[in-house]
Amino acid sequence: MNSSTDLKKQSFDSKRIVNLLINNALIIIMLILVVYVAVTNRNFLQPASLVNLLSLTAAYLPVALGIAGCIVLTGTDLSAGRAVGLTACVAASLLQAVDAPGKMWPNLKPLPIWLVLLISVLIGAAIGVFNGFWVAKFKLHPFIVTLATQLILYTVLLRYVQMGESRGQSISGLDNGYREFVAGSLVKLPIGKGIGIPNYVWYSIILAALMWFIWNKTVFGKNMFALGSNEEAARVSGINVGLTTVAVFALAGAMYGYTGFIEAARIASNTPNTGFNYELDAIAACVIGGVSFVGGIGKISGVIIGVLLLRLIFVALPMVGMDQQLQYAIKGGIILIACALDMRKYLVKR
Amino acid sequence: MKKLLAFMLVLVMSFGLVACGSGADKKENATTTAAAKEEKTEAAKEEKTEAAKEEKTEAAKEEKTEAPKEDKTEAETEKKAEDKKEEAAPADELNIGVFYYDFADAYIATVRAEMDKMLDKMGVTYKNYDAAGSQPTQTDSIKSAIAAGANLLIVNVVETSSEDAAKEIASAAKEAEIPVIFFNREVTNDVVNGYEKAAFVGTDAPEAGHLQGEMIGDYLVANFKDVDLNGDGKISYVMFKGQEGNAEAEARTQFAVEDADKILKDNKLEALAYYDENADSKFLVDKDGKWSAAAANDYMSTILGSYSEDQKNMVELVIANNDEMALGALSALQNAGYNKEDGKYIPIFGVDATETAQGKIKAGEMVGSVKQDNVGMAATITQLVQNIKDGKDLMAGTEDLNVDKDVDKIRVPYQKWTAESK
Repeated sequence: MNSSTDLKKQSFDSKRIVNLLINNALIIIMLILVVYVAVTNRNFLQPASLVNLLSLTAAYLPVALGIAGCIVLTGTDLSAGRAVGLTACVAASLLQAVDAPGKMWPNLKPLPIWLVLLISVLIGAAIGVFNGFWVAKFKLHPFIVTLATQLILYTVLLRYVQMGESRGQSISGLDNGYREFVAGSLVKLPIGKGIGIPNYVWYSIILAALMWFIWNKTVFGKNMFALGSNEEAARVSGINVGLTTVAVFALAGAMYGYTGFIEAARIASNTPNTGFNYELDAIAACVIGGVSFVGGIGKISGVIIGVLLLRLIFVALPMVGMDQQLQYAIKGGIILIACALDMRKYLVKR
Repeated sequence: MKKLLAFMLVLVMSFGLVACGSGADKKENATTTAAAKEEKTEAAKEEKTEAAKEEKTEAAKEEKTEAPKEDKTEAETEKKAEDKKEEAAPADELNIGVFYYDFADAYIATVRAEMDKMLDKMGVTYKNYDAAGSQPTQTDSIKSAIAAGANLLIVNVVETSSEDAAKEIASAAKEAEIPVIFFNREVTNDVVNGYEKAAFVGTDAPEAGHLQGEMIGDYLVANFKDVDLNGDGKISYVMFKGQEGNAEAEARTQFAVEDADKILKDNKLEALAYYDENADSKFLVDKDGKWSAAAANDYMSTILGSYSEDQKNMVELVIANNDEMALGALSALQNAGYNKEDGKYIPIFGVDATETAQGKIKAGEMVGSVKQDNVGMAATITQLVQNIKDGKDLMAGTEDLNVDKDVDKIRVPYQKWTAESK
């Protein structure tokens, strides 16, 4: 009697361990990768290198945070990259230094930085509302709506960069205060000559906290998840489906607008290419991080891990001297494995 | 009307939500929604006027296309010239299709701006097409343009690694008996020679790489000690390549380093050393093939994460295939405290000498670039257009220009661009 329960317990335990391993496979893969890279290339664990990894993650995080909401609603958002491009070009053109060569609006003094941030976020949000409207009103799949928006936005973007005096040149020569506000560093790690942490890292941390709050602590967040897991049930229980949908897309759009504002200063040279394909990286990061296309499932921490893992691949592979072409296959493999493991969890549940 | 009201309500409320989310207080809500509304209406207005404009131009074109069609059948005949004199507005006869490989390319955009200006001045009808980096898109739009009555093609071909695409385009033009001018991205001699009304206006692709290499070599010989930060007698460099499989990118990547090495060797200095000795290719390439600043910026900031002066392995020289990538790298370096007014300096070299880059070079933030003459390019192309318009031979009056010996290829020369340049 006793021995049989022991046996049961044991097998139960080993099963649990296996499950634990599989459920956290992604973090384990990440740790193995980190250890391998750290052993092969000592530079990887240098503070400057880690700060770089952190800042790249911070730069790519907001778009993923926005798209994650759309994926929770079983949708997606393909217009993200172009929205980033448009807002980046607008923000840059409004904040070019007075003496910038080929200045787009020659007579325009740089506007206050907060105002440009507000304008960028509002443009982004307006794009999101546009997306949300078509999705909510006509029950179109977000894939189609945002594909259309992506194309429309590209025209707007191409037209915008041809305007004014810049005639299609890259929009550059930004106001110094703006560059400092985004890419300067208020905080420096006291190592060596001091390693600056770019300001946008802090902004991203604040945004992540804010999104966590919205997702987990507000009625809107709860509605979003309810709607994502079962639209009919949500409707019956009195959730305003249309409004919630529009709001989710608007929130995502606001994130793209913010990203455009940051990218404009981070890269400091803006063309219609800015933001190109950002949505694909962001969607990949989300699904790797366990935001499921099934709907109603996802965590902010997962999104952060997803973005971090993708940036880790970008940073680490060249460091171990791996062929750059392998990068794509590795990314693809990780997406597949991550999603399969993810689905496995829910298949077991059912 | 009700629906519209409902939509507006949704708009307002959603903005309220967003604003709440970002922690703004209620007063701000009101202002943001108002601002958003204004923006919306403004955007709507703009769209409308643009749409109206397009309609107009389309209508105008339709009228015009009929005239050239008749003209086309008479092409090349002597009569044409006589007819022209009798007609009131010969400028209307041309219906040009201009096919750009990618509107998003910064240099091409400057060529487009110049060309639009010159063609407008000439008073001819033209239409710009964007292939967005896709050869199938371009080939299709060329065929539809021919079907729609275009009688002169100006083509910035997408695919440069094989000649099939350009051949296809040339043979489509030949079939329709209309002239075709290729520009910027090079096509093979066979393509140009295969059709008497085909020409190419561009640069000598390797020349940019050679000039860049020469500039780098000369600069290093003059400033070797300052550039060699760790004093190991070798300059470690990084190379940013715009695109895989693009002839110009390949040539620039190769010759910039080779020619610089040659000059260093002549002066008994060590050749350039790639910053990462374990790397299996001696360049970092924009994986989207867009020659973009963002790609170079990400690479450069990553490099700066593990290579520094403290560790005596700092990258001491940045070479980029174009100015966009050079500017992206510059931004990353500046974020790390380099190439500002005080002291620490990494020389950066680009190609194109866009106005932005010229500004940076003047300010001393970049060392040099190679001017790809957008005005000269557009002027040469429009000169050929003028020939066609006047009923002359395509290549008439180009004797003074730099034309290849046995093929109708006009080379617009590159120029070195440094702080001393105008």
